[in-house]
Amino acid sequence: MDARPRLMPPGLTRRQRRVYGAVTLFFIIVFFALMWPVYPLFSGIRPVVLGMPFSLVYLVVILAVSFLVLLGLFAWEGRADRRDRS
Amino acid sequence: MPDWIIILAVTVGYLLASLLVGLASGGEASKTTEGYVAGDRSLGFVILYFIMGASIFSAFAFLGGPGWAYSRGAAAFYILAYGTVGLVPWYFFGPRIARLGRRRGYVTQAELFADRFQSAGLSGLLAVVSLVGFIPYLMLQMTGAGYVFSVVTGGRMPVWAGALLAYGVVLIYVFRSGVMGVGWTNTFQGIFMMALAWGLGLYLPHRLYGGVGPMFAAIAKAAPKMLEAPGLGADGHPWTWGAYSSAVAISVLGFGVWPHTFMKIYTARSERTLKRTIVWYPTFQMFLVPILFIGFSGVLAFPGVNPADKILPTVVTSIGLPPVVVGLFCAGALAASMSTGDALLHAAASVTIKDLWRPLFRPDLAGGTERRLIQTLVIVIGALAYALAIFAHMSLVALLLLSYGFIAQFFPLLCATFLWPRATRAGAVAGLLAGFVVTVIWNFVPALQWQGIRAGIWGVAANVFVMVAVSLATPPMDEAHVAAFVVGREPAPGSP
Repeated sequence: MDARPRLMPPGLTRRQRRVYGAVTLFFIIVFFALMWPVYPLFSGIRPVVLGMPFSLVYLVVILAVSFLVLLGLFAWEGRADRRDRS
Repeated sequence: MPDWIIILAVTVGYLLASLLVGLASGGEASKTTEGYVAGDRSLGFVILYFIMGASIFSAFAFLGGPGWAYSRGAAAFYILAYGTVGLVPWYFFGPRIARLGRRRGYVTQAELFADRFQSAGLSGLLAVVSLVGFIPYLMLQMTGAGYVFSVVTGGRMPVWAGALLAYGVVLIYVFRSGVMGVGWTNTFQGIFMMALAWGLGLYLPHRLYGGVGPMFAAIAKAAPKMLEAPGLGADGHPWTWGAYSSAVAISVLGFGVWPHTFMKIYTARSERTLKRTIVWYPTFQMFLVPILFIGFSGVLAFPGVNPADKILPTVVTSIGLPPVVVGLFCAGALAASMSTGDALLHAAASVTIKDLWRPLFRPDLAGGTERRLIQTLVIVIGALAYALAIFAHMSLVALLLLSYGFIAQFFPLLCATFLWPRATRAGAVAGLLAGFVVTVIWNFVPALQWQGIRAGIWGVAANVFVMVAVSLATPPMDEAHVAAFVVGREPAPGSP
């Protein structure tokens, strides 16, 4: 048995593999950015943004960017599906 | 008319509305087990969005979130952090899980794992661990609901009566309508919670300090450590980065594998619907920001509130709000408790029958009998959790922390199911047992808790190590069977 793990199903184009690879890498980076040793670099009060301490703003920005990345991937998949069907 | 009667009337009005919504949704699914547990796999985006949001955000988020912000400052940010990536694995695994569920008839999480590893014993083990996690979680929701009634009536209604009233309503609609009742009431309750969180979260800083900016500026001047991550520990001293980071990590791992949320994957109408729900989930998660504002608003304005979880009701009942608004707040707190409690109750009954009773004792159970047994268990488990919540005096928080460590052990199993074809039944079971044992030992021996790192993290490490070692030491599973699950091994369409 070939026991090597595969992260993606077969039959994907090179472009699809790149996009899925980039998104997976992005979320792995986000996971580590939420804790030590990355978060301590942004854990202070200043700069204050929209009245909030930076320790909170940092997390809100990560949440918002993560949302946009996944939304972008979802829209991209939708466009590809429509293109395949037509 | 006394204020407390108006507040109670608004709260009871909310309960009646929940009951009506829950009962009215009962006719939307078939009378089969699949209809009762998975809504005939027909749920659309809006209901699924609110099920995910409202059943994840419990009384802990609504009362505990402000309590943490109030007493521990930036430590509370971990609640916002782990939800950022907690559901992301679903985007990639979710459609595969839903597809397998449709093809092979799963409606619970353990059915997937038991099928992949060909083990009824594994199914029973997962069911028992799930129940160990569900019961204290359900007890917390029940006491939270009872506490709301006790506060709004000025102590005239005892906690046991309030919990009985709220969870009597939950029992009725879950018993009759199954997951459709959970779905539609969660939609109603979710809208209620979000409106209230944003409304109160922006109003209170404005009312007490003149805005969010002035509030944080005042706290930064008086108690800067409150706003610097990782905030404060339970003892009031600075929290360690080890404890903060491991709390985030273990919560990320556990977030997507709690069985009561995991089984909602099977309810989605389509893979696109499921993905859309996961994509939009952070917009629900964002409501934690105003929830945290509520807690921070009490830091300087209401010092010394003990326990800290009382800060939200304390602030709301102390600033002269009209009784109707206070009643709406109480209904919001009840919504948070009930929207999680109903999903837990429904899942606990389903898991007990589908994953424990049927595979181990009655494999020939007929569909109609199975559905009736699940409905009966909704009542039995509800009564049991209620009795324990009211009469047993145990440390629920300790139990809950332990069960979170247990549930997180399902994450390596999920990865092995889909990513590692060499994982075997013996490896999966041995890994899980090692994870549970290490979590228990690390939880109860303080000397082992280096840097405050959560017990579940050590459990996951042991789980992965033992699973890999035992899998490699045992013969591989049938290649054709494994290929149906593992990414990249599916037989090509049209192949024999």
